[in-house]
Amino acid sequence: MKRSVIRVIAPVVLLAIVGAACGDDDDTETTRGSRLTEVQGADSKLDQVIAADVVKCGVRDDLPGFSVADEAGEHIGFDADFCRVIAAAVLGDATKVEFVDVATEARFTALQSGEIDVLVRNTTWTASRDGTEGAAFVHPTFYDGQGMMVAADAGFASIEDMDGAIVCVAGGTTSEGNVQSEFERRGLAVEVTSFEDVDLLQEAFIAGSCDGWSSDVSQLTGLRSNYPDGPDALVIFDDVFSKEPLTPAVIDGDSRWYDAVNWAILATVQAEEYEVTSENAADSAAGDNPAVVAFLGGANADGTVVDPGLGLAPDFALQVVTQVGNYGEIYEEHIAPLGLERGVNALWSADEPGLQYAPPYR
Amino acid sequence: MTTAAPERRGAGSAHQTASRPPPWRDVRYLTWTFQAAVVAGLIAFVLWIGDNLDANGLELDYGYLDRQAGFPIADSDFRLTQPVSDALLEGLANTGRLVVAGVLLATVLGTLIGIARLSQNFLLRTAAQWYVEVIRNVPLFGIFLIMYSGVALTVLPHPREPLDWSGVLYASTRGVAIPWYEASNVRFAVLVLIVIAVFVGAFTVFTRITDRTGTPYPTLTIAFLGGVAALVLGWIILGLGITAPERQGLRASGGITMTLAYFASLASLVLYTSSHVAEIVRGSIQAVSKGQGEAASALALSGVQRMRFVVLPQAMRIALPSIGNQYLNLAKNSSLAAVVTLPELTKITQLAIANQSGPAVPALFLLLGIYLCISLTLSLIVNVLNRRLRIVER
Repeated sequence: MKRSVIRVIAPVVLLAIVGAACGDDDDTETTRGSRLTEVQGADSKLDQVIAADVVKCGVRDDLPGFSVADEAGEHIGFDADFCRVIAAAVLGDATKVEFVDVATEARFTALQSGEIDVLVRNTTWTASRDGTEGAAFVHPTFYDGQGMMVAADAGFASIEDMDGAIVCVAGGTTSEGNVQSEFERRGLAVEVTSFEDVDLLQEAFIAGSCDGWSSDVSQLTGLRSNYPDGPDALVIFDDVFSKEPLTPAVIDGDSRWYDAVNWAILATVQAEEYEVTSENAADSAAGDNPAVVAFLGGANADGTVVDPGLGLAPDFALQVVTQVGNYGEIYEEHIAPLGLERGVNALWSADEPGLQYAPPYR
Repeated sequence: MTTAAPERRGAGSAHQTASRPPPWRDVRYLTWTFQAAVVAGLIAFVLWIGDNLDANGLELDYGYLDRQAGFPIADSDFRLTQPVSDALLEGLANTGRLVVAGVLLATVLGTLIGIARLSQNFLLRTAAQWYVEVIRNVPLFGIFLIMYSGVALTVLPHPREPLDWSGVLYASTRGVAIPWYEASNVRFAVLVLIVIAVFVGAFTVFTRITDRTGTPYPTLTIAFLGGVAALVLGWIILGLGITAPERQGLRASGGITMTLAYFASLASLVLYTSSHVAEIVRGSIQAVSKGQGEAASALALSGVQRMRFVVLPQAMRIALPSIGNQYLNLAKNSSLAAVVTLPELTKITQLAIANQSGPAVPALFLLLGIYLCISLTLSLIVNVLNRRLRIVER
């Protein structure tokens, strides 16, 4: 009789388990279905962000000048300000940003999975990343390049002197490969040691484990200014051996959101070209230069406004500039204190022309 | 008849319950149910993960393995243009070197400390106890950092004032170099095999003689001397040269250099694992019936002989499965070496992800899979050893 009890109960239990498993399955099936409609339907990321009334911006919290979190958790820096630029343009309020600290190896996954709406995390725009990571890069906010830093008393004057050197790199980036290619190109031997942590790298560098320290020049400048033995103990070579356009990225295949983010950033460049600053922006919007008035969304002589159809409010540029600033102002506030000159990041129209150029706003 | 009403069963079948318990206490039924539940749970979990990946637009695409790696690997001949799969093999080799050396050293050190824990000598016993209690109870991650920055970077001299015992040892914060062979790897491997064969052969022969005749020989010493003789003779006959470390610029040329990363990783893993092994060895020795040791003493065996011939062989049988677990832990813990720049599997995977050539989710799944294979292989070896050591019962 017991045996028969087992015979009756066992299939029931098994069925229950399988049923539970399938039930799970069904649940996820529905969620997936609804998420797919979200992406495929008319609902762009732009609409989602407006509905949520906040921009989830992927940043880092440990890079002086670009994005550091202070004691209160507030993010300060060049990248952080471009998150605010996007919020000001899309939502009309620069404070509506949710900063999400993402790790280097998780940044593109976070973007793909929708954990963040936009990635502004000094990320280099490369062909492979554009092609394989499901990311679309907008206008570069900062043109950087990889350089080499050595101890001032090491007796190196340029990379040519560094045959057989050990070069330390804070890893998780394309820097290791760049160093190796550069030395190979010059016919020099090199050994690249890849650290995960900048602090440990600095200890090893001080103890003499490395001849050279390579990273993007903007980062090296920041690290040099905080070096324990003082900035004069280190020398950064003038040779820059890679192109590192640091560029915000959004998810691939959502052109409305892409356009909105791209033009929010371009507006800062255009504003600097028009010499519109956070102080004079409101006056300029009611000024007598029709191009500037149209750019800032002010009414022209006939009382009409220009709306280029980007899905942004006509006065988005005014919001960006009054609440955050133009490109030059953002640069002066965060990057200049590191000791970095404008260089290639100057406007194309500047006395010493750089690469920052916005397509015409018309 | 087939549906059993509980009241009827409770009242009327006392004699049956005695012979067979109800289903919720019937072992055969319970094991079967639990296994079914686990399998169903596992299938549901895998489906759930798959759906999550789909829903988030992440694909398990392993095409990146054939793509160009684009990153260099320290201390290797790896070229930037080689595929990611080659880089992973290089990482696997580094992990292998770390695990094999770590397992051997941790076993020896752990056994010695385990024996020291039971020593009559107060100082030795207490020192061993402190070693075990301190090392075992701190996070391994901290040990790695201390070994790298607190020990290696601090103790070793700056490369401009290296420690240079000309031709014997050359040490600085760029690594520690010692003399090494200079010949093809094949010839060296042959030599190693010959030495091992001579050592094991001598050991076996003299153990057999002792077993048969009862005449004691210093078996280990003879085997050791035989090994050394084979090493020297083989070295000369096979024509292996020696390269000694010489100063060249800020580094040593010649000899073999152990990098700080490898030293710090190996030292951390050995320290940590040996503290666990020591406790297992101590427990296993104590688990051997006390009469065995007393009987050995009664036969006038010395302290060392008592350990080697009577207590340890029995203790080993008890200890092996648990020590095998520690080997698995060591293999998995070796992934922490990535923190101190050793280019092992985890580090290579991180580099592959960061260098656009490897998407994160599939790369991490692959990493887990490789560690699983390493663990299963180690586990298989331990199981085979365990079966061979088991008492053969008739």
